[in-house]
Amino acid sequence: MTSSVRLSLLLLFSTAFTFVSAQAVDDHGAAADHHSPEIECGGHDDYDPAGVILHHIADANEFHIIGDISIPLPVILYAPGEGLTVDLSSSFHHGQTAVDGYVMNHGRINRLADAPAALMEGHQEVECIAHTTAEVDGKTRDMYYALIGGERYLLDAPSVGDGGLLGGGITSFYDFSITKNVFTMILASLALIWLWGAVARGYKKNEGKAPSGIQSLMEPFFVFLRDEITIPMIGTKHYERFQPFIMTIFFFVLFCNLLGLVPIFPGSANVTGNIAVTMALAVISAVVAYVHGNAHFWGHTLWMPGVPTAVKPLMTVVEVLGLVIKPFSLMVRLFANITAGHIIILSLISLIFIFGNNGENVYGAGAGAVVSVAFTLFMNCIELLVAFVQAFIFAILSATYIGAAVEDAHHHDELGHHGEEKIAEGGAMGGAVTGMHTPAN
Amino acid sequence: MSTLFLVDFNVIKPDIGLIFWTVLIFLVLYAILGKLAWKPIQRALRRRDEEIQRSIDEAQRARAEMLAQADENQRLLIEAREERTRIITDAEKQRKEMIAEAKNEAREAAQKVASDARRDIDNMRKAAMVDLKKEVGSMAIEIAERILQKDLKSDANQEAFVRELVRDLN
Repeated sequence: MTSSVRLSLLLLFSTAFTFVSAQAVDDHGAAADHHSPEIECGGHDDYDPAGVILHHIADANEFHIIGDISIPLPVILYAPGEGLTVDLSSSFHHGQTAVDGYVMNHGRINRLADAPAALMEGHQEVECIAHTTAEVDGKTRDMYYALIGGERYLLDAPSVGDGGLLGGGITSFYDFSITKNVFTMILASLALIWLWGAVARGYKKNEGKAPSGIQSLMEPFFVFLRDEITIPMIGTKHYERFQPFIMTIFFFVLFCNLLGLVPIFPGSANVTGNIAVTMALAVISAVVAYVHGNAHFWGHTLWMPGVPTAVKPLMTVVEVLGLVIKPFSLMVRLFANITAGHIIILSLISLIFIFGNNGENVYGAGAGAVVSVAFTLFMNCIELLVAFVQAFIFAILSATYIGAAVEDAHHHDELGHHGEEKIAEGGAMGGAVTGMHTPAN
Repeated sequence: MSTLFLVDFNVIKPDIGLIFWTVLIFLVLYAILGKLAWKPIQRALRRRDEEIQRSIDEAQRARAEMLAQADENQRLLIEAREERTRIITDAEKQRKEMIAEAKNEAREAAQKVASDARRDIDNMRKAAMVDLKKEVGSMAIEIAERILQKDLKSDANQEAFVRELVRDLN
């Protein structure tokens, strides 16, 4: 009897979830119709799963809830030579109004590239955002245009730090807005401050007594990370200095991951699935490790002792490359895991619309829903696991890098030991969890 | 669609603004949590660990002490028991000794009393003998005087007279 109750609850939950998610996708499809991506402001009927998915995992300048309802977010834009523009995202009316030459294109702020000066000031009505593709340096690129007063103007995306390798690069402006991702990070931070503040108050209240309430709930996490990550990876001598950093990075990543799994506001932002976020975190980890690197660490990195002099420059090249590859692997691992999970879930939900032939075939949509519910539920469970596992891996690998940097000099069997170290590092370069090794030897 | 994919894959383009905010938020969070939570929790946990260790040490010490105490008690008990046995034995011995002594003393006293009595009797007898002898002597002298003083003329008178004397003697 209990099992049947459980089953029906499970079905209820999964159906409700799929309903909400499906609604979001559906509303997006409807919203996409408003600003047609055709060069003329025409209709756009086909359901485009790739476009929808990529739009959903991308960062946005407004928090889209349902239909035309969005939570406005602060917009802070800087164009060199033009100065700052600070506004709320609601002023852009989902792309129907240009403010100081900035236009909202599918949730992101873009800037008119070659517009006359008159259009770069005040509010202008935008007829539509048009989309086309063009060949640039042998690569097909998306071009977006804003139609204002019958004229079309090319739109610039915000500057990104990919050096132009991934189709981005420095453009005419920088976007320092509180975007959906930034908002979610602030939310996660506030939640963490509230949670751990309450835990710390528990320690003050129960001084000399057994822990109680939220304190006893969270203490195992603290102790687990201490006993499983910081002490084995950094060593008993130095671990206390780095425990706060490892705790912060673990819980920040974990909370961002978990908020990303919530399908509606205040979740749904793909924070840790954005390479800017993982890059920043990985670089911070690397900086923390390398800044604390001792003479032993730098000696082994720059001029490896115990190997023939002829090999030393080669080792230096490998080791210096390793300094970059370590944080790079951290960055890519978290980004790829989270983004992949989001793409899979959104793909499964898209099945409903593909099977339903974009709303024309109700039976197909029903069949798609059945398949989608089952697989989405499964994927959500996996994602929940991944949220914890990836936070753990990020923390443990950060601790490993710190541990290698602060490891004390040892004098036994130099050659043999470093052979092992190289193998372990090779594993980490491969981006696998097997890259972990205990520096406490 | 495939052309859209690579180009529109925005999440792989590191947005400079997002990097800026991530670094800022993370560092501020690290500073706040470090001050608000991690350090106090670390301190509290360390203090608790030390306290637990101290309690365990204390308990172990107390147990060892208790064991030692119990040993001591056991030893004292055994000693006391031995002492008791010893005391009882001693008392017993003493009692016997005292009884024997008392008996001896009594016997000696009795003997002494008896010998004294005997000696007294002896003495008294001797004295009596002396007295008797003296008396007899004096009587004999008296008799002799009377004999001498009277005329012992006839044998009959003489005989009667002696008988009278003897009767008087008695």
